[in-house]
Amino acid sequence: MSERKAGSWLPILSAAFVLVLLLSLWAGTLPLSFSELFAVLTGQASSPTHSAVVLKIRLPRVLLAALVGAALGASGGAFQAVLRNPLADPYILGVSGGAALGAVTAIAVGASSPLVLPFAAFAGALGALGLVYWVAQAHRGSPHTLILSGVMVGSLASALLLFLLWLTPSDPLRMAIFWLAGNLALADPAWLPWLALWSIAAFLLLWSQSRALDLFTQGEEVAADLGLDIGRARLMVFVAAGALTAAAVAQAGLVGFVGLTVPHVVRLIWGPVHRSLLPASALTGAVFLVAADALARTLLAPAEIPVGVVTALIGAPFFLYLLRKREGGR
Amino acid sequence: MITVEKLHFSYASAPVLQGVDLEVRRGEILGILGPNGCGKSTLLRLMRGVLTPDQGRVLWEKGEASRIARKEMARLAAVVPQSLTLPFPYPVREMVMMGRFAYQHGLTGTSSTDQRAVERALAVTDTLHLQGRPVTDLSGGELQRVLLARALAQETPVLLLDEATSHLDLDHRLEISELLVRLNREEQLTVVQVSHDLDLAAETSDRILLLRADGAAAAIGPPDQVLTAETLREVFRVDVKVEANPYTGAPRIYTVGRVGTWREASPKVHLICGGGSGGELLRRLHVAGCSVTAGPLNRGDSDQVLASALGLEIILEEPFCVMSQAALDSARSLCMSSDLLVVAPTFWGSGNLANLDLASEALEHGIPVLLVSPDPDQDYIQGQAWQKIEALCASGGQIVPDAEAALDFLKQTVD
Repeated sequence: MSERKAGSWLPILSAAFVLVLLLSLWAGTLPLSFSELFAVLTGQASSPTHSAVVLKIRLPRVLLAALVGAALGASGGAFQAVLRNPLADPYILGVSGGAALGAVTAIAVGASSPLVLPFAAFAGALGALGLVYWVAQAHRGSPHTLILSGVMVGSLASALLLFLLWLTPSDPLRMAIFWLAGNLALADPAWLPWLALWSIAAFLLLWSQSRALDLFTQGEEVAADLGLDIGRARLMVFVAAGALTAAAVAQAGLVGFVGLTVPHVVRLIWGPVHRSLLPASALTGAVFLVAADALARTLLAPAEIPVGVVTALIGAPFFLYLLRKREGGR
Repeated sequence: MITVEKLHFSYASAPVLQGVDLEVRRGEILGILGPNGCGKSTLLRLMRGVLTPDQGRVLWEKGEASRIARKEMARLAAVVPQSLTLPFPYPVREMVMMGRFAYQHGLTGTSSTDQRAVERALAVTDTLHLQGRPVTDLSGGELQRVLLARALAQETPVLLLDEATSHLDLDHRLEISELLVRLNREEQLTVVQVSHDLDLAAETSDRILLLRADGAAAAIGPPDQVLTAETLREVFRVDVKVEANPYTGAPRIYTVGRVGTWREASPKVHLICGGGSGGELLRRLHVAGCSVTAGPLNRGDSDQVLASALGLEIILEEPFCVMSQAALDSARSLCMSSDLLVVAPTFWGSGNLANLDLASEALEHGIPVLLVSPDPDQDYIQGQAWQKIEALCASGGQIVPDAEAALDFLKQTVD
């Protein structure tokens, strides 16, 4: 891996991000030419409708998709390292499920302010993570126990979630689909700055643990021998990655497999060193989810597919491919 | 440098170390040897504070091992493990750079000191040319050298090797040993090496700690005082001869044979078999330390070939013959001096029927007879053999299912 190649992620991914951002702002039910889009973006739009659609409707949603994708991409990369399991992902580990349960519980008891929701989701995420980790600890070194207990905790969270939604009087069916399938449509743009602040803080905390994550991939005993305080580092990573997952879930429900596929692709192209893997995964996650959301909005327009359906359609086969490849490799 | 005092440690309820005392001296190469499961690796873990002892303590200059912060310990002692499974394809250079973790803070880049330490570690371990390769593509030997490079990049005064070279070929094993000896001489690097290679440990260690299977120290001192035939026999239950390597003078261990698992003299067992029926019995009884005899067997029979290969005493008969009186007489005298007669599940015909008479004679003389899973379908002389087998059972012969059961019987009665 040459230095030049290792450092090439930033320009390439930035360019890809700008490109997908523009495409996503352009695509939609209201037809728009590229020159009209540029006119809106440079503040010279003649039609106020165009301005309103692009800046008030599409832009917040695209930015939200970017944030959610970045949060999921980075946290997935961190989970894979700290758990030493290339199949880890916040959705598969049940962490997203826990976060959704936390958020819906908060809504059910009437505390749905943008300041409370992420914390409730965060509590749910950490609870699920703790449970999964505790179960898997009994079988140290078995990646499949981790995945299985994650799937079970996720199922448990989903069941409790459905039960809560059934108990909640207001429009439960629509809500259920929102939380379970992942959807960026219902998000409130006013929450966007808070979400951004929360996610950036969590990401910086996670990024500060890059070297610890590199060491975790060597196994916990080796990491300790190399000088890592395992307990403290693991707590930091769990808190930071859990907070990122919670932020994503509180806004977009259960969007699966972003955290699985994105770090794999990044590792394949730019290597596994977390100093670059984490920001590169965040950017790639943003690109991926913005693109997936654009597809979700336009494929069956004017109807909308939940974005979680799109990511699962791409991610689940990828997971099966990895599972097959790993088993065959042994 | 490191003082180990009256160290006790158990996993769950199984004790692995029992009262080990040890003083690792600055600048020495200390070898730790002993049978599997005696606690060699555990001792290394306790020394670097990854585990906390049940009793006793491990003292470094900075205090008790388990209380020294991990980062601090990583600047005192580096570890080379036996092997490592790696889920992610780190480039070799990045992998070795992980050895500098204890000297780095947060997100700051690598310093020029870090770079120099890594370059040097790569160079002395002959891995510089691998530095861009993903570690997942390396051979076992290459990976082991990279792990050593990472430990050297930690620039610690002490190096702990946990069977670090047991996966390597002779060439690289010697090369790494030479490298360790050189670093020890030139830079006063203190080396503690856990090993299974007695000869190599004897060549390279200044002192050797030999642990017994129960986790107590059997001996500690210079190799030629520790690696003696008596101590090794006691610790490994193997008969060895120790001679000095004519080129280096270090003790060299030659295995002679296994020490029997019998408290008294090893029991004598005579086996009646043939046509491959005795194979497993011959091998198991022999490995368990019995002195096994067999026969009469036809020359070229697969049981005869196996018995001869194991070096057992057998009565030979020419192929395709009815047993001669001479062969039967020799077999009888072997039978009568045995502690046990075992009849293998062979096929019975007129050629070997006389063997069953031998068995009933043995019973009359008070020698126990075991019949290993006899089967009437293996009687090819109209039930004559089966009649004799039933008669044997009636007068005290016992039926057992397999070699394991025969051994159990032997342990209960003879030992």
